[in-house]
Amino acid sequence: MVLKTPTRYVLISALCALVSPALTHAQDMSFDLDEAESDAAPEADAEAGGEAGAEAGGEVEMGGEAEAGGGAAAGGGGDLLDELTSDDDMEEEAGDRAPREKEVVEEIYAVQRMYVLRNGRFELAPSVAFTVNDPYVSHPSLAVGLNYWVTNVLAVGGSFLWYQGVESESDLNFSIRRSTRLAVPITQYQLGAHLNFTYVPIYGKFTMFNSAIFQWDSYLVGGVGMVRTRPVAVVDPAVRSFDFDWRVSFNAGIGIRVFLSKYLTVFGEMRDYMYLEKLENLDVRLGEERESESTWIDQNATLTNNVSLHVGITLFLPFTFEYTYPK
Amino acid sequence: MEATMTTMFKRIPLALATAITLGALSVAPTATAQEIDVRGPLAGAPAVIGLRVYRETRFQIQLHSTMTLEDEFTRAVFGGGQLMFHPTDWLGIGAWGGFAFMHLDTQLTDEVVAKGQTNGVNVISLPDSERFPDQIGKIKWIAAPQLSFIPLRGKLGIFEKLFVDTDFYVFGGAAFIGLEERAEVTKNQASACKNMGELSTQIMCFSRDVGDREQRMAIAPTFGVGLSLYLADFLAMTLEWRGMPFAWNTSGTDESGHPDGDFPDEAIDSEDQLSHFNHMFTLGFAFYLPTDPGLSHMDEE
Repeated sequence: MVLKTPTRYVLISALCALVSPALTHAQDMSFDLDEAESDAAPEADAEAGGEAGAEAGGEVEMGGEAEAGGGAAAGGGGDLLDELTSDDDMEEEAGDRAPREKEVVEEIYAVQRMYVLRNGRFELAPSVAFTVNDPYVSHPSLAVGLNYWVTNVLAVGGSFLWYQGVESESDLNFSIRRSTRLAVPITQYQLGAHLNFTYVPIYGKFTMFNSAIFQWDSYLVGGVGMVRTRPVAVVDPAVRSFDFDWRVSFNAGIGIRVFLSKYLTVFGEMRDYMYLEKLENLDVRLGEERESESTWIDQNATLTNNVSLHVGITLFLPFTFEYTYPK
Repeated sequence: MEATMTTMFKRIPLALATAITLGALSVAPTATAQEIDVRGPLAGAPAVIGLRVYRETRFQIQLHSTMTLEDEFTRAVFGGGQLMFHPTDWLGIGAWGGFAFMHLDTQLTDEVVAKGQTNGVNVISLPDSERFPDQIGKIKWIAAPQLSFIPLRGKLGIFEKLFVDTDFYVFGGAAFIGLEERAEVTKNQASACKNMGELSTQIMCFSRDVGDREQRMAIAPTFGVGLSLYLADFLAMTLEWRGMPFAWNTSGTDESGHPDGDFPDEAIDSEDQLSHFNHMFTLGFAFYLPTDPGLSHMDEE
């Protein structure tokens, strides 16, 4: 897909607009003295079940997850600088921007909270998708998904993909036709709409050079939907033309999501959209039958797999959430 | 005037983009320089203490199986290995290599064999459709000295039960690729066959040499990303994606010349080597020596 320069400017700027506030939000931490003293740590925390530090097999982690409670308790939406300076708002407003020193105390908790709670939140996920398994024609698309998290690991939702106008046929088709006199039947996509479940069986965290810590998870996604496609006339293009039609499509995939903050993530996802395609008939009838539309389509449906790589961001709504149990 | 208007319209998206960027920056929280004096037990502490250091000053010997992806005519299955030494936990230097012990023809190759048509125009490209698998290009081996960079080290949990240490790495280097392609057919050879008269005679002439092969070595950049899952102190399973763009003649056909112009040029030669983004997936098992990993920052605990 080749974007014209002005369009590229707009897309890059829009991406900057989405990401720039988030950059300063990455890895929320609360070192606030008052908060640490006021929140007595209970012996156990049900929300922390998935992130218990003990599973590290002897590793002692600091800072990476202690932030989980702090950001929510402060209600600051997960901004490290905001939280660090939350006690001194008046001074900030007075315009005192000079560097200054602040004392903070950080507590260690026996069981750490999960970094993000998802249950009861919506997830908006715009992305771009690229075909990875079709050497003849590429079906890139602009996609958007909306999920509702029923639990912390299970979501229901839908996704919408728009293909028309951004597809491209590869040189391989031309080369095959030229060198072997074979026509490879191909299809054009217009749009797709799918309902799906998302389940998170794998999660983890990375430390970068033993300083910053990134939370991430891996998920399985699957569902059913409709895709609107049509054959591209390559066998008898002088006579044949086709309209878009709906096909039932099943999809299954796996993805990885990296948290930049408690409401913003970047994700990559490999998803296979499977459906039965009606391809162009490779046989051309002679005489009047050549003009008959009923002879243009191959009556045998072909199982088609459109394996797509999605890359995008997700936005959790509402931005903030509250832990059920105290720290 | 028209030119001025056109220029103005072209500038509108740029101005819009600038406005969006500036607007985003203006609403972003203002960061103020501040010194933080953390006095608690975490004061000055690294993110992790007692982190298992799997790579620093250790050798990695990896056995792997690799399969090429998105191939047009045949996919190669490699067996091979990798030897790396890591002077630090985030940097490794070594070499990766593999030999293709199996080639699996794609469905497209089967279709060409079954249905390919030969006429006076493409007789040099496809003299005998049934022998098409003999003319397609194959990767025979790859050797790649490379550097690995390991920026991320962490762990993952599966079903909240099983926890595995892991690291994410990127790598890059130079790849030396052993290729086997259809032997060159010069313009003189081609014209001799073309001048033999009937198509059937031309087909017989070109078919004589269609199975002849030539070996050569291509040099290309190679790069990729991978994930190590540490199953034990000395053993990791690796999942890796690798790309290496280079030009070769995958089909053994006459491809040179402008697509809409001077096809065919009546020769099979280096002009028919087209650029391909070749990529592959690797599953490996890496052994580390010495067998015991170190622990980080233990003096700070």
